[in-house]
Amino acid sequence: MTLLAIDWHYLLLRSVVTFNEFVIYYFLTLNTVYLILFIISLFEVVRFVRRTFFSDYQQILKSEMTWPISILVPAFNEERGIVDTLRSLLQLNYGEFEIVVINDGSTDGTLEQLIKAFDLRKTDRVYRRTLPTAKVRGIYASLEVTNLIVVDKEKGGKSDALNTGINISRYPLFCSVDADSVIEENALLRVVKPFMEHPEEMVAVGGIVRIINGCEVRDGRVIRIGLPRRALPVFQVVEYLRAFLSGRIGWSVMRSLLIISGAFGLYKKSDVVAVGGYDSFTDTEDLELVVKLHEHLKRQKTRYRIVFVPDPVCWTEVPEKFKTLLMQRNRWHRGMLQSFRRHWRMLFNPRYGVIGTLALPYFLLFEMLGPFVEVLGYLSVIAAYFLGILNREFFLLFMLVAIFYGVFLSIAAVLLEEISFRRYPGWEDLARLIWYSIWENIGFRQLLALFKVKAFFDFIGRRRRWGEMGHKGFRDEGSGRPPTTPKRQQAA
Amino acid sequence: MQTTSELLAQALWGLGGVLAFLFVFLISNKAIRELRERRAAALRRELEPKILAYVNGQGNHLGPILGPLGHFESSVVEEILLDNARFLKGAARSRITSACEDLGFVRARISQLRHPRWWKRAEAAEKLATMKSPKAAPELIALMRDEMPDVRMRAARALGQLDTRTSIKPLIDALQDPSRWSSLRIADILAGMGPSAADELSESFNTLPIKARVAAVDCLGRAKSVRAGGLLLRLLSDPDRDIRARAAHSLGLIGDPNFTPDLLKALKDPEWPVRAMTAKALGKLARPEAVRPLAEALRDKEWWVRINAAEGLKSMGEEGLAALIDALSSEDRYARHAAVATLEGAGVLDRFVEQLASADEKERETALLFIRKIIAAERTDSLTQSASRHAQEKVRELLSRALKPSEVKP
Repeated sequence: MTLLAIDWHYLLLRSVVTFNEFVIYYFLTLNTVYLILFIISLFEVVRFVRRTFFSDYQQILKSEMTWPISILVPAFNEERGIVDTLRSLLQLNYGEFEIVVINDGSTDGTLEQLIKAFDLRKTDRVYRRTLPTAKVRGIYASLEVTNLIVVDKEKGGKSDALNTGINISRYPLFCSVDADSVIEENALLRVVKPFMEHPEEMVAVGGIVRIINGCEVRDGRVIRIGLPRRALPVFQVVEYLRAFLSGRIGWSVMRSLLIISGAFGLYKKSDVVAVGGYDSFTDTEDLELVVKLHEHLKRQKTRYRIVFVPDPVCWTEVPEKFKTLLMQRNRWHRGMLQSFRRHWRMLFNPRYGVIGTLALPYFLLFEMLGPFVEVLGYLSVIAAYFLGILNREFFLLFMLVAIFYGVFLSIAAVLLEEISFRRYPGWEDLARLIWYSIWENIGFRQLLALFKVKAFFDFIGRRRRWGEMGHKGFRDEGSGRPPTTPKRQQAA
Repeated sequence: MQTTSELLAQALWGLGGVLAFLFVFLISNKAIRELRERRAAALRRELEPKILAYVNGQGNHLGPILGPLGHFESSVVEEILLDNARFLKGAARSRITSACEDLGFVRARISQLRHPRWWKRAEAAEKLATMKSPKAAPELIALMRDEMPDVRMRAARALGQLDTRTSIKPLIDALQDPSRWSSLRIADILAGMGPSAADELSESFNTLPIKARVAAVDCLGRAKSVRAGGLLLRLLSDPDRDIRARAAHSLGLIGDPNFTPDLLKALKDPEWPVRAMTAKALGKLARPEAVRPLAEALRDKEWWVRINAAEGLKSMGEEGLAALIDALSSEDRYARHAAVATLEGAGVLDRFVEQLASADEKERETALLFIRKIIAAERTDSLTQSASRHAQEKVRELLSRALKPSEVKP
């Protein structure tokens, strides 16, 4: 009996020690990967800024050879902001484009608002139904705004709405845009440039998503850029800078970009149709589409490019409450797990090049398992303390190194922003970004790890929901209108 | 563990040092940049009135007006001149070019064209494009062989800005640039240079490789050179389908009605992109003899050909619209649908709906006849909406009655 007790104690002891050693090696590997990504991104940002110094955007605007674009705007219960969004989109600085709004079975007055604002008429537009979708109830057009089409359809979810938009759109490129986001005036000119440079190979281009909370918006345009007042969205500003400027740029250079944000991405329609369009089984249709495109094109042995460009900006609102943030991150993480489950054959498969051998293993080992390692790491420290084997000096040093390293990566992202795009020009903004880069690593990141662990169990339990996003309504920042009521996001 | 702790402690010091460096770099970088910008803005406020006075005709040379300039002052003066050059024309524009030559900016940028860093060479070419000094032409032509596509592009743009006969030939050669973006841009530049570039392009056409030929065909169309018509008509029977399609498109852009017979033949091309482009071109020429062939093209098996044919008919006025109305009774479902959509877009459906309110019974009958054809074509979304929302009760009633299944007479 005593022997058995000693064995258990020893086993527990060894487990904790071994796990702690594993955490150290894991931490070292993860941070080396982050450092490599940052260095690649640094070089790429400098190269990009040098290239864009000689902007070709006026030529792209004037050229008859510029690809026309269909902008797809799926809308579900967007009556408060949809008209402003469209007025802003109609002012985009671009040659030939059409806007296709897909009213996905809204239960509010979205369609009525659109009909009233743009004097829409039901039309008998001819279109090719290349992707299966829920039933289209009607297609509306305006005699005044000739490049606007509104499609009224039965509820089918965001993916289904986007597929309907693909069917109805006329042009070879389509740009997916969220109905509650703001696209910068020159964003289309910037995002189409890679298609002009590599027309045969380019399949998809993603732009940067920046946070609109704290900015002043008037008539659907950001007229003053500023940081949010509350801490939670500022943490997300730092997080987005890190994710986009030193994450996506790095993966894009290695030709293994797995995510193009659904809020703003430009795609070649023929390739998206070839893979069957957007999927409804996932909670993150944007990630799934990009992974599917990679899988399909690699199998076809086609030379292709899916890239990220850091200067076409889409402004979007982020959660200001923990509960909303939890739901958003839960959905993102679940979506990633769903795509993994579907494309697991690509993992460690050299047939899929860098995607199979580097990008997907990175996502598996660090994005999926990372939160577990982090949370279990904290638990093992507690266990080590109670078992009396906690080396306090070592623990303290390790925590400090981890935090310092996190701060380094966040400040490095701020530096990338400062030497390149400088969207936050004031000294106060810079000071706040640095301040929050430090504090983001104490509490916020740990919280996100917990959210991801919860998302994993929700995924196992097959719980799927989008939940209430509780948008505060960025349009109110400048217009003085009352905040929008929380809207229920599209159920997948 | 002791060794690991020591390592961690060292790592901590190292990271602390890196963080401190980053912090200092961030702050000092921003501070230096802002100070520089402020100094440049102050200098600009001081110098700009003098420069603008010179540009508007005061004095013969800018140098004596400004006095001796240091390196920083020179860069600000150059910036002011280039900013103004972007929107000025005529004599004022020429004075800017003279000032750039007198103050040594042209010479400095020409020598920068040989800089080892590509972005410096590109910057020099970009600035020379705005300075528009013919002195830079030989060096810019040489730069068209640079290893970097971005640099070649800037050189091409600068040559296009110079708009001299010597710059056309290197630009035509550059249509063969392996970068698709570069060749497109060069095509834009050549098209902007007008008929002289088009003539040179027509002469060199046969010496160009296939990819460059496609771009060249586009240039000829966009330059709207009637003299290139003969070459483009011959290209309608080129073995390459892209060239045939682009030639048809270019003929439409030039818009000479004499092209119609050849385009009508091209409307029967076995490749659908050629037929689609030809339908579009015929729409632009708007000749009555094209109405019937375009109406037939409404039954083409390719969606783009049908749509372009319908759009073409729409742009042909009453005759074209009459052909579209005839197509409403076509046996081909797609032809009927394309016709309905185009007639709606042209406002014809609205016109007939309004005619239902007419006091003249004959007019009402004509309108009803047309509306029945639309209903028989199985595209009734617009009519259904009018039946429920039209301002006049009489129209709503007539439409509702026509839309009842028993009323439909195909």
